[in-house]
Amino acid sequence: MSADSLTPQTLPQWLLHNAANHSDEVAQRYKRNGIWQEFSWADVRDEVRELALGLRARGVQRSQTVVLMSENRPELYWAEWAAQAIGAKVVALYPDATEAEVDYVLKDAQAVCVFAEDQEQVDKVMPLMSRHAGMHTVVWWESGGLWSYRHEGLFGWDDFKALAQPIAAEDALWFEQAIHQGQSQDIALLLYTSGTTGEPKGVITTHASLLHNAERIGQTLQLPPGCEYLSYIPLSWATEQWVGVTLGLIRPMRVSFAERPDQIQEAIRELACEMVFFGPRQWESLAARVHARMLDAPPWRQRVVDWGLHIGRLARSEQMDTARRPWWVRLLLPLADALVLRPLRDQLGLLRARIVFTGGAAVAPDIFRLFAAMGVMLRNVYGCSEFGLITVHQGEQANPETIGHLALLPSAWGEPMQWRLAPTGGLELRGGTGFAGYWGKPEKSAEKMNGEWFQTGDAVGQGPNETELIYYDRVEHMSCLKGGHTFSKQFIEVRLRFSPYIREVMVVGDPSRECVTALVNIDGDVFGRWAELQGVSFTTFTDLSQRPEILTQVASEIAQVNRTLPEAARITHFVNLPKELDADEGELTRTRKLKRDFIEQRYGCLIEAMYANQAKTAIEIPIRYQDGRSGVLRADVAVGRIPQLSLQEN
Amino acid sequence: MTQAQQHLPMLEARDITLKFGGVTALANISIDIGHQELVALIGPNGAGKSSLLNVLSGFYRPSEGSVRFEGKNIGRWPVHLVAQAGLARTFQGTHLLPHMSVLDNIMVGRYMHMKSSLTTAFFYYPFAHREELAHRAVAEEILSFLELEHLRHHPVGTLGYGMRKRVDLGRALAMEPRMLLLDEPMAGMNVEEKEDLARFILDIRESRQIPVVLVEHDMGVVMDIADRVIVLNFGRKIADASPAVVQQDQQVIAAYLGVHA
Repeated sequence: MSADSLTPQTLPQWLLHNAANHSDEVAQRYKRNGIWQEFSWADVRDEVRELALGLRARGVQRSQTVVLMSENRPELYWAEWAAQAIGAKVVALYPDATEAEVDYVLKDAQAVCVFAEDQEQVDKVMPLMSRHAGMHTVVWWESGGLWSYRHEGLFGWDDFKALAQPIAAEDALWFEQAIHQGQSQDIALLLYTSGTTGEPKGVITTHASLLHNAERIGQTLQLPPGCEYLSYIPLSWATEQWVGVTLGLIRPMRVSFAERPDQIQEAIRELACEMVFFGPRQWESLAARVHARMLDAPPWRQRVVDWGLHIGRLARSEQMDTARRPWWVRLLLPLADALVLRPLRDQLGLLRARIVFTGGAAVAPDIFRLFAAMGVMLRNVYGCSEFGLITVHQGEQANPETIGHLALLPSAWGEPMQWRLAPTGGLELRGGTGFAGYWGKPEKSAEKMNGEWFQTGDAVGQGPNETELIYYDRVEHMSCLKGGHTFSKQFIEVRLRFSPYIREVMVVGDPSRECVTALVNIDGDVFGRWAELQGVSFTTFTDLSQRPEILTQVASEIAQVNRTLPEAARITHFVNLPKELDADEGELTRTRKLKRDFIEQRYGCLIEAMYANQAKTAIEIPIRYQDGRSGVLRADVAVGRIPQLSLQEN
Repeated sequence: MTQAQQHLPMLEARDITLKFGGVTALANISIDIGHQELVALIGPNGAGKSSLLNVLSGFYRPSEGSVRFEGKNIGRWPVHLVAQAGLARTFQGTHLLPHMSVLDNIMVGRYMHMKSSLTTAFFYYPFAHREELAHRAVAEEILSFLELEHLRHHPVGTLGYGMRKRVDLGRALAMEPRMLLLDEPMAGMNVEEKEDLARFILDIRESRQIPVVLVEHDMGVVMDIADRVIVLNFGRKIADASPAVVQQDQQVIAAYLGVHA
């Protein structure tokens, strides 16, 4: 509970607070008709008031559920705040949710009212209305295609707001009074989990939890008030609820909305957003765009860009490694910045971006470094809808291997936050506003708790410094060694595949083994060129894979990844496979996933050689040629050892 | 509009005959188009579909017969007056300005409604400024209706064929017509583009409540969306009925399949 009883306790109370203290400041912007239309905090409050009175006119009660189905736009925010103003809770669905998903949520959350953006969404909801007894109202705000729809519970935006007028005339203060009845422990949202494991579950999210998380994000990032933010992450994600909706209110920020979902890139550039959040795939596609545009440019311009990025890499590699920057790089950086790096940032809309996030999955270090060279530092952020924000990269440096620094700051909300690692390697948390449970599923909620501790189910490790965490895998996907140590094959393989020299890799280790080993399928093309440059002669792939120089290079790539691993989970031995893994021979699936059992059996003698600590071994593998003939590949395979890291290196 | 006018057809063409020298392109054709009707004009190649559309929109003068639009005999009016009367059309292929942006092309459709002269526009008088804003607002509405917002500033010449046809339609809509004539709007489109355009045509009829006359070859589209189908063959009208009836008509089948009826 907040110590200061005067500070707002719910989101709608914050809205009133802003409308009183920042009434003329721009709260939201929406690009319509090619122009950014502005809404002040007073405008937003008036819109929310009309909607709230409309909801009351339709008989929506405190603690009932209102569902939102729309792309991000101001009306979506207004509808959420209006529902919360009258004490109702909100469920936001993905705009592309299927009818079955909508059906499930309407039933599970006992929805009474739906805000649907357009015909597409209305068409999903209307057939379901008769199936859900409590559902009585659907409101749309994009009339396209809906001109001839008639239903007693279906309202256009303007008609719905018109419902408010009689109440506004009769009881002018009702809206403010309803908001002041709100308490921080009221349920603000149900955030539905993706349901990859079983049915989706609605995570109960109170106003206190939203405010607590937004406060922590604001504190760790030191965002200035009035900061520019573009809202495009779906509201069904906790991230957007914490940042766009809640932090936007309490900082306050200027939250903008693009004209169409496919106009986000243009909108980011026009607004020069200070805070940008993309998933790894989006960062990759931005990087790919830079490369693609460069291919169209004349050769001299390509060389200038390459040079600028090279200087940027040298100058800013400090953020990645501890390499020292040479003096001439310091001298050239301003020139490179003016000629190449700044225009690149401008083209990508990152000119003013100070706080730039990625999350959800690992970003390749190359992508991290490319943006770092441009002067844009990507920060990882990690959290879960049940417990809130857990880690985020803070300060001036971000290590791409970790998911960031723990963000368990002391605050006025609840007990101090604490974390610990369970014996399984799983991360457990307590304190703060905590986990309030799943809606209507007490037994599922109980499964997540270990006494007072909340189990995230994510296996993590500690990074190079105490306060940073490394994400490995879900606990149930972790593998176990003889000594009881756990490790994630997936984690190690993904990291090793980021190396340009390694095409495929399979990590081996199970409860009968004492250490972790790897079967490496080197990238023949890359190593072929590398060998030419180094003056290393070779004949076939088999020959190339066993050259000592190449074994050394692979060993150093593995040693890099080993640094991020706990001692017991480090790779000790590896072999370079004498042939490439091939889907035609059943070693990979058609989507290039490893067929572990088959590979383990086929290359069993190599695995035994590694665990027996032999220097080399001979192997015979039956192979099938493309023309149908079969043959036998005989090769001597060397076993590579990874030098143990000293403590300093760690 | 009075009650009586509501019952009259909006457009009446009576006994239209069109001759080019010795060739009779259209012979004694009479058609009515009612309020809010979606009428398809079909027929084999050379049947006279485009000629009839050109007569209705004033591009050709009929050799005989009359065209009445909302009670006015427009049969011999010049094209620009027909357009001002509220009849807008699109062309086979596209007649757009390729180097101008999508927005500017649609603004061209507003020309008819603009009052400021070259001088007042050049010196940007306050009223010219206000007028520009009002027209831009209408153009933006059309952009959003046709889902072209993201291409607003793209030159039309860089767009694909399907998109250009959509811009063409947008320009016709910008005239705020009371009746829309579309000449083969879907020719050369793929299935997805056709579906989009069919949706837009239905939406136009529904949101603006105006009649739409459409020359089209794609029978699937015609049968799906038209209220009424008029079939021409060698300059004569051989059928004028609902899609279901027309599909069963022996004369129509003969005209399309070349069988002697």
